[in-house]
Amino acid sequence: MKRFFLILFAAAVLTSCSGKEKPGQARLNIYIWTNYLPPAVVAEFERRTGIDANVDTYDSNEAVLAKLQSGVADYDVVVPSDYMVKVLAPQGLLQTIDHARLPHFKNLDPRFLNQAFDPGNAHSLPYLWGTTGIGYDKQKVKEPIDSWRALFDARYAGRILMLDDPREAFGAALKLMGKSINERDPATLRRAAAMLQAQKRLVRTYNSSDFANLLAAGDVDVAQGWNGEVAAVVAHAPGRLAYVVPREGGTLWIDNLAIPKGARNLDAAYAFIDYVLEARTAAQIVNGVRYAVANKAAWPFIDDKIRRDPAIYPPKEVLDRCELIEDLGKTMPLIDELWTEVKAQ
Amino acid sequence: MENRQRARTAYSLLLPVWLVLGIFFLAPLVLMLAVSFAQRGTYGGIEPVSDLRSYLGSGAFLANHARSFEAIYLKIGWRSLWMAVLTTVLCLAVSFPAAYYLAILAPRRWKSLLLGLVVVPFWTSFLIRTYAWMFILRTEGLLNLILMGSGLLHRPLELLYTQTAVMIGLVYGELPFMILPLYASLEKLDRSLLEAAADLGAGRSESFRRVTVPLSLPGIAAGVVLVFIPSLGQFVVSDLLGGARGMLLGNLIQNQFAVARNQPFGSAIAFELMAAVLFLLLAYAVYMKRRGEEELL
Amino acid sequence: MKGGWHRRLLAAHTALIYLFLYAPIAILVVFSFNAARQTAFWEGFTLDWYRRLLDNTLLFRSVRNSLIVACVTTAAAVLLGTPAALALARHDFRGRRATQALLYLPVIIPEVVLGAALVTFFGAVGLRLSLTTVVIAHVVFSVSYVAIVVRARLSGLDPSLEEAARDLGASPVETFRRVTLPLAAPGILASALLVFTLSIDDYVITSFVAGVGATTLPLHIYSMLKVGVTPEVNAVSTLLLAVTIVLIVAAHRLLLGDAK
Repeated sequence: MKRFFLILFAAAVLTSCSGKEKPGQARLNIYIWTNYLPPAVVAEFERRTGIDANVDTYDSNEAVLAKLQSGVADYDVVVPSDYMVKVLAPQGLLQTIDHARLPHFKNLDPRFLNQAFDPGNAHSLPYLWGTTGIGYDKQKVKEPIDSWRALFDARYAGRILMLDDPREAFGAALKLMGKSINERDPATLRRAAAMLQAQKRLVRTYNSSDFANLLAAGDVDVAQGWNGEVAAVVAHAPGRLAYVVPREGGTLWIDNLAIPKGARNLDAAYAFIDYVLEARTAAQIVNGVRYAVANKAAWPFIDDKIRRDPAIYPPKEVLDRCELIEDLGKTMPLIDELWTEVKAQ
Repeated sequence: MENRQRARTAYSLLLPVWLVLGIFFLAPLVLMLAVSFAQRGTYGGIEPVSDLRSYLGSGAFLANHARSFEAIYLKIGWRSLWMAVLTTVLCLAVSFPAAYYLAILAPRRWKSLLLGLVVVPFWTSFLIRTYAWMFILRTEGLLNLILMGSGLLHRPLELLYTQTAVMIGLVYGELPFMILPLYASLEKLDRSLLEAAADLGAGRSESFRRVTVPLSLPGIAAGVVLVFIPSLGQFVVSDLLGGARGMLLGNLIQNQFAVARNQPFGSAIAFELMAAVLFLLLAYAVYMKRRGEEELL
Repeated sequence: MKGGWHRRLLAAHTALIYLFLYAPIAILVVFSFNAARQTAFWEGFTLDWYRRLLDNTLLFRSVRNSLIVACVTTAAAVLLGTPAALALARHDFRGRRATQALLYLPVIIPEVVLGAALVTFFGAVGLRLSLTTVVIAHVVFSVSYVAIVVRARLSGLDPSLEEAARDLGASPVETFRRVTLPLAAPGILASALLVFTLSIDDYVITSFVAGVGATTLPLHIYSMLKVGVTPEVNAVSTLLLAVTIVLIVAAHRLLLGDAK
């Protein structure tokens, strides 16, 4: 009996020794999108500063909101999307960022600064940006895809993937209806929800983490997805796969670094953000995750193939037909409710 | 005198447990019920109620519970019920012959080893066992590889992200929970009763029907309870193997807490699920009492 | 008694059940050594995926968290549940039925409901989500298991042994320490093992109440699963299986040795 507990205790002690933590060592808790931060970047940060970085991931903005609202989560750096910053800041969930503490702030691309969702970048700094579009298998589809219609096409029944994201799903439906993705009219939203409900039997799965891999593995032929991860699998199979931002227009999103109100490791947070703003680090991130960074100083260090990939750095006419997602305020509960009904049926 | 003292000892032995469960079990459940009557704030959270009296009178008080009876959510409840029933029936049908063999026909020296082998999967991680099916059933998974490679099929089977996959995953996970109680019950079966039945001229199927099954009913009941209730509230299997498409009660609750941020509505559903389960168990307890069994398990 | 072909049919059926139970596990293990990343096509033997696990500090941290939670939970559950079992098995008192019901409830309520209730509670009292809240949640459902198993063990014991000890002049405390406890030990150990395993494997409740840096192994595995089928998950699964089997065999030996 004693031996049993002794073994357990020993095992616990041994595994705790393999962690690099020592009491009193500075810590940093990062909450970020899946596939958004190459481990090498984190490791280099830890090596340079001696700060112990803990990275937790999520695959939806709503998860960030839920965590920060619960008031009992404990992160120092979060990465909300544009419209989510607009939701978090007025609720007092984000700290004001002191630009003076960030020597590499000047590296940021002015085109992405001072956006409507955060004037003066009081609460956030742009990190990565991209588009939402459709990834598809050129050999499996009947004709080249250029419209959101493809995701609602009965010919691809059972081979379609949608992002598990209410704003993006509604975005696709609304764009197809010729409306803005920030539509507030309840009647229009209900029509969009009806479209999504009708679409459901054609959809194989709703997935925001694995969409690119599922496309590459042949589990689906047409997938709604964020450009970076799709571009990564397209690069491996350019003859077979492709990415397109539909002609009706898509979502342009900017994900931002922010510091939650209750953050306890403020110095570490600023150190990390400044590190990420460095030209070489930013380039390393782009090369790793294949999403574009809002950092102009990084351009020379980015992989040439990536610089010339229209999926990652789209031409002007594509950007012009994209919209930023905005917070819908009081309409949000309606969208949540309609989305529950779409998923539930 | 002696009894009073014994009772006092009992109370002091039980005090820690009562405290812990009272604070961290009963209180949260009561709180959850209270929250189910509230409304969600614009950005999630709970809308504070300024005037309790008028709120109680208004329709908003029961709004969440009323909403849970709307067609779309009743459908989820129905689907969950159906899945749980199907899983339980499949488990029972598949397990009974195996449990029978293990308890009655298997060679004695192998019995404990065979039983141990049934238990081992139970001790291993449920997530991993579910993942195994993701690995096998996906389009580029093992099953399709074998079927296509051997020329039996030309297009891969799309088994992953279907209700079939969820069913397989559920049955797979719950099987040990059905086999073990069945085995325990059948093990205690008095063989001489079967012999007597044979002596009295009963055929194999008749003695099975009229002797074996009635006597193993406690085991069947226990197995049904152990499989049905977790199946009713599960969400991991339908999330991983079902492609986040077929929402079940467990998914709905988790979704309301994590994604839709409607804690009051999620609490309402959770509370109703709990009420349904307790009701079913009460029925089970009454049934067992009728049979004269004192202990429930 | 039973005819030949009946017996063979049932034996075959049982064999198929075992195949069904173990084939997926075996497949996982075998393919953790497969050099291919995306497909199930065998592309050669490799230990690469295991090597990558060694670099995965997040994984080690989650293992450590799981072990801490499981050990603390097991200790607390045994300390709380054993006295409860004793009270139920040996004493008569008012509120017996209610106590029994209270102890059974955490086990029978669906995990989703318990998780939801706890996260609401922690939010209401302002308790920060952390490893502590995970431990609390685990203790809540573990205490019941300990109480039920130990109580069953105690009920099965021959009361005359304890009576004899008291007749010989032993005080209640002494009787407990030198007669009851050793006799109940296999039950306590079995319930400890059960609770330890349940805690290490728990995903549902933990997902509701875990805080920052409180990622346990199941939570980490789940996030690995969400990103898709990768051989690293196969490797983690195989390691976990190996550890589990070693623990079971060790516990089996220890328990059998002690009970004799």
